[in-house]
Amino acid sequence: MTTLISKDPVDGGAVPASRKRKVPGWSKGAIWLAAVIAALSAASYLTGVAQLTASGTLQTALVLAIPILLAALGGLWAERAGVINIGLEGMMIMGTWGAAWAGYQWGPWAALIAAAVFGALGGLVHAIATITFGVNHIVSGVAINLLGAGLTKYLSTLLFQPVSNNPRESPAVPKFDTYSAQPLSDWLADLENMQRVGVSDVAGVLRGLVTGVSPLTMLALLLVPVSYLVLWRSRFGLRLRSCGENPVAAESLGVNVYLHKYAAVVISGALAGLGGAALVLNPGQPGYLEGQTGGRGYIGLAAMIFGNWRPTGLLGGSALFGYVDGLQLRSGGATVMALFYAAVLVLIAIAVWLVARRKVVAAGVTLVGTAALYLFYISVDEMPSQLSTYLPHMVTLIVLAVAAQRLRPPAANGDEYRRGRGH
Amino acid sequence: MRGTVLAAVAVTTALTLAGCAKDSGAPSGGGNASGSECKLAPKPPAAVASTTAAKTPEKADGSALKVGLAFDIGGRGDASFNDSAAAGVDKAVAELGVKKENVKELSAGPNEAESAKQTRIRQLASDGVNPIIAVGFAYADALKAVAPSFPNTKFAIVDATVEGATNVTPLVFAEEQGSFLTGVIAAYKSKKCNVGFVGGVETPLIQKFEAGYYQGAKAAAPDIKIAKKYLTPAGDFTGFQDPAKGNAAAQGLVSGGSDVLYHAAGASGKGVFTAAKTAGVSAIGVDSDQYNQKTVEQERDVIISSMLKRVDVAVFDYLLAVAKNDLTKLPKVFDFSVGGVGYSTSGGKIDADLQAVLEGYKAQIVSGQIKVSDKPTS
Repeated sequence: MTTLISKDPVDGGAVPASRKRKVPGWSKGAIWLAAVIAALSAASYLTGVAQLTASGTLQTALVLAIPILLAALGGLWAERAGVINIGLEGMMIMGTWGAAWAGYQWGPWAALIAAAVFGALGGLVHAIATITFGVNHIVSGVAINLLGAGLTKYLSTLLFQPVSNNPRESPAVPKFDTYSAQPLSDWLADLENMQRVGVSDVAGVLRGLVTGVSPLTMLALLLVPVSYLVLWRSRFGLRLRSCGENPVAAESLGVNVYLHKYAAVVISGALAGLGGAALVLNPGQPGYLEGQTGGRGYIGLAAMIFGNWRPTGLLGGSALFGYVDGLQLRSGGATVMALFYAAVLVLIAIAVWLVARRKVVAAGVTLVGTAALYLFYISVDEMPSQLSTYLPHMVTLIVLAVAAQRLRPPAANGDEYRRGRGH
Repeated sequence: MRGTVLAAVAVTTALTLAGCAKDSGAPSGGGNASGSECKLAPKPPAAVASTTAAKTPEKADGSALKVGLAFDIGGRGDASFNDSAAAGVDKAVAELGVKKENVKELSAGPNEAESAKQTRIRQLASDGVNPIIAVGFAYADALKAVAPSFPNTKFAIVDATVEGATNVTPLVFAEEQGSFLTGVIAAYKSKKCNVGFVGGVETPLIQKFEAGYYQGAKAAAPDIKIAKKYLTPAGDFTGFQDPAKGNAAAQGLVSGGSDVLYHAAGASGKGVFTAAKTAGVSAIGVDSDQYNQKTVEQERDVIISSMLKRVDVAVFDYLLAVAKNDLTKLPKVFDFSVGGVGYSTSGGKIDADLQAVLEGYKAQIVSGQIKVSDKPTS
């Protein structure tokens, strides 16, 4: 498996070339996951806030993260082919409408397909505007957002109002059944209820992730490795990414840049549409509702940037947004403060690691930041809800500010491409 | 090598899927926290007579009125707030002789600019429409800007007061009084003596609901636990239309042990109802009789009552007062005494005993024995 990964040339873009022994990408992800779980368990034990690792919190986080994750994946596909897709929000809105329209008539699987189709239509419009006509990507994206909102408003007045008596809502949409990995889930529940330090926390986290999962959630999570394999491991994906890095070079090697860009943006729209479907179809959602997406398309874009235009990274970004949102909504500001404690623990670990690698200055800066964070933690009892709601946004800003030099968007992202006009 | 990876992935997937079991078969418990039924405070004395004395229908001629309705987001058909206002106008058409063709209705769009609201009001006013009713506090700033330029036009605004504009009549409600009774209902219906409140956006208006609910629950059961959760802070109005967040917040309250949830969260409330249904707890609706609302039909069996906010009553009374050209008699606040707020009994979950208790509290509120504050204590 290692040989498979270390062949990757583009992979190393963000990693300094000087490093001798490269840690394979997948194990790095696993290490991060383990570190995060360890930090959360420790914080949960040390602060006494059990909600931090309660299975319910994780379950909520997962449900809230899925639409963001799908939008982020949509952004990844488009931007890897060099098309900035700020129209994700609009495509998501179209997805919610499509899901509700097909869903209330023919069930959740039809809803899923319709959502993907509607989202893909939005993607197609974006593709025609940006790729064929060379419209500025941001302008076209904003237009898609307005179009998505306006079109669904018109369509739901036309088609939903006679059934639901309300132009802003669809009739109730049947939901997916949810599934739990049995007997694992019950076994983890026993472990969690034992309230053992560490073990119960880990059990809680895992149980939240394997209990009450809808097929859509599984599909979304599966799409992360699938996107990785297609974009980084298949011929089609490598060509697609070459269109985002250097379309002129790709063209000179015989790649049909227009075709690949079109495919990427349409797939991007379909994924965003699925993100919309997740808002309609996940357990606990009633159906289509005007304004339901609430900017999740943009948040997906932020999660993608947070994740450095990489599938594993955007998974982490979406998880962060979903987790903080879920924690804040379920149990409020006091538990969010416990999250700060977890962040302090992670930062100390990072500082130790930096010292071990003889990066004294960086370690010092990290420690100062940690101390400031800790002071904030002990001086504030409860995070004001006005702040905790926007915590993920602030974290993204901090990441962008601190890691801007290490973030690497596709080189030709947002540039106009014309066949045969390369230099 | 690639084959091995694919095989490994396939095997893992197959194993995971084989271990999956449907959740819908097993009933899910209502939270982990334990508790027992509340020790209830002594019941209030029974109400002597019907406190909302049926008003003798007053007669007035409204045939000359040109009524303008500026709706909030959604407009007619939202099965809630706007529809209620429209019902008041419809009643005026039926009873006051307001001509149907003289009623102008305009709807707002979501997240529209402030100037769009001003334009809408200005347009109605320049067309000679009088009176103009703005539905929703979102119009407060627009009216403040526009009303002074039309001193001879009568304006009314639901849910807000506009300072400094003498020709704007506020139609505000005593939500805290209605919510007081839902608090009493929650306390009587809770099996764990632990109830929850979900607010859409943390604005003073929604805090009135919370405050009343809190006081009502405490009055009925002094040692009751009341948890609350707002979906978004003030200024971020997405909290009123995000069922996903409503659902998450409600789940959180249920896992904290609450078994009756009252929401004042607009369309996000649907997420609260679905969460209540999944967890097997009760919920209380808001604004209109949500038990009979089509969009929450599947969850209606968890809705034990709804706090009614009679926008229709306020709008009709206002039009009546305008027709009689006497705005002074209009109540300052539409409370229990004028039937501006109330509770619903659809669904049959409020039995006669509880209803007697509620009427008892209601009588005490009307007589002033119980003063319900509109500010949350904590």
